[in-house]
Amino acid sequence: MRISIPAAAILLAVMPSTGIQAHAFLDHAEPRVGSTVPTAPREVALFYTQNLEAAFSTVEVSDTNGARVDLGKPTISASTMRVGLKQLPPGTYRVRWQVLSVDTHTTQGSFTFHVKQ
Amino acid sequence: MFRFILPRSLALASLVAVTFTTNAFAHCFVGARFLPATLLTDDPCVADEMSIPTVGWSKTADVPPASQLDLSIDFSKRITENFGVTFSQGWTQIRQPDGTVASGFGNLTTAFQFQVLKDPSHELAVLTGLAVDWGHTGSTASGFADRFSHITPTINIGKGFGDLPDSVGWIRPFAVTAQVGYQIPTDSFDFTQNVFNPQQLVYGGTLQYSMPYLKSEVIDLGLPEFINHLIPLVEVSLTTPMANNFGNPSTTTGTVNPGVIWVGSYFQVGIEAMIPINRESGTGVGVLAQLHLYLDDMFPRSVGQPLFGGTSTPTRKLTF
Repeated sequence: MRISIPAAAILLAVMPSTGIQAHAFLDHAEPRVGSTVPTAPREVALFYTQNLEAAFSTVEVSDTNGARVDLGKPTISASTMRVGLKQLPPGTYRVRWQVLSVDTHTTQGSFTFHVKQ
Repeated sequence: MFRFILPRSLALASLVAVTFTTNAFAHCFVGARFLPATLLTDDPCVADEMSIPTVGWSKTADVPPASQLDLSIDFSKRITENFGVTFSQGWTQIRQPDGTVASGFGNLTTAFQFQVLKDPSHELAVLTGLAVDWGHTGSTASGFADRFSHITPTINIGKGFGDLPDSVGWIRPFAVTAQVGYQIPTDSFDFTQNVFNPQQLVYGGTLQYSMPYLKSEVIDLGLPEFINHLIPLVEVSLTTPMANNFGNPSTTTGTVNPGVIWVGSYFQVGIEAMIPINRESGTGVGVLAQLHLYLDDMFPRSVGQPLFGGTSTPTRKLTF
């Protein structure tokens, strides 16, 4: 049970070279989390800290009434997930996402963005 | 005896040993909320993690005060998805103003913990546990470990404020955790020290503000990446004698710890100031620091898995 500080340093040192993965955090999004955009975006793009498993990752965009405004199935490439949007009138929209990183960890979250009146 | 020579030092050493060695340091996701492993109190999740080391420096309540250095290591392992065990070991050194140094290991502690509840929509987690501080497994001769054991049933609760409405979005990154345990010694009287061994309420909690949550759930302010990984927090850890305390002070002791945790993908680093709540709890401000490794992220297909039950990979496509 007692592992020395040098052992911890070795553990940290070998991590990048072993290709290990971790929980996928949302690094940033377009439109930005909580932002107000002047024109309606054509898509929502989500950028994560880890590569994603496409079959187990999904995103949904809805308006304040809960109606879906996304175009359905997202496209996923490496650590990026994109979903197209219908023509959005001014208002507030919520993005809900759930992803599985390639090491089997699930994370989820949601945020809003606003299209300017 | 040692306790009569250094009564407050040993009391504080015991307090620190108890608080250090009952931590489980779990990697705790509840919905969109990540509750970090906190330095002084436990978080409300089981996981595969390791704190190596936790380092504390403070001055005892003696007059004049002695310097106290604490080192501890914790290793947490999930047996099943919801049941885990934590092994903890601490070492303490006390340096008197005249240069006299005493040091030794505390007793080995094991904590058996069960995840009672995880409610993602309300960012709520509840954990119950039983910590056993095994008597005679540390440096009993030098007074840093007891000859008897302590048994501490404990409950831990964590709650994020993410389910508040968007109109109070700036409050949503807040979260609180709480820990309450009742510590029962296996011997009611210590004949070597000639004192009663009290039953004690061991309790505390944290108030924390998650910058990662602010960025990913509320508003991305475009802050420097280092800031976006910080979780400022205040921890409180207290001990109050409740029963079988004849002849001993009944004062509540503990510390209030403002600090910050930097959260990465594979490890976190935390540092806190330790402020004694009263004269009996210490002298001046101490420091507590910790390096904490997420074994479930570092080794997701081996030691980062529960021993039984395997991967938590979903078997179907996720839907909302």
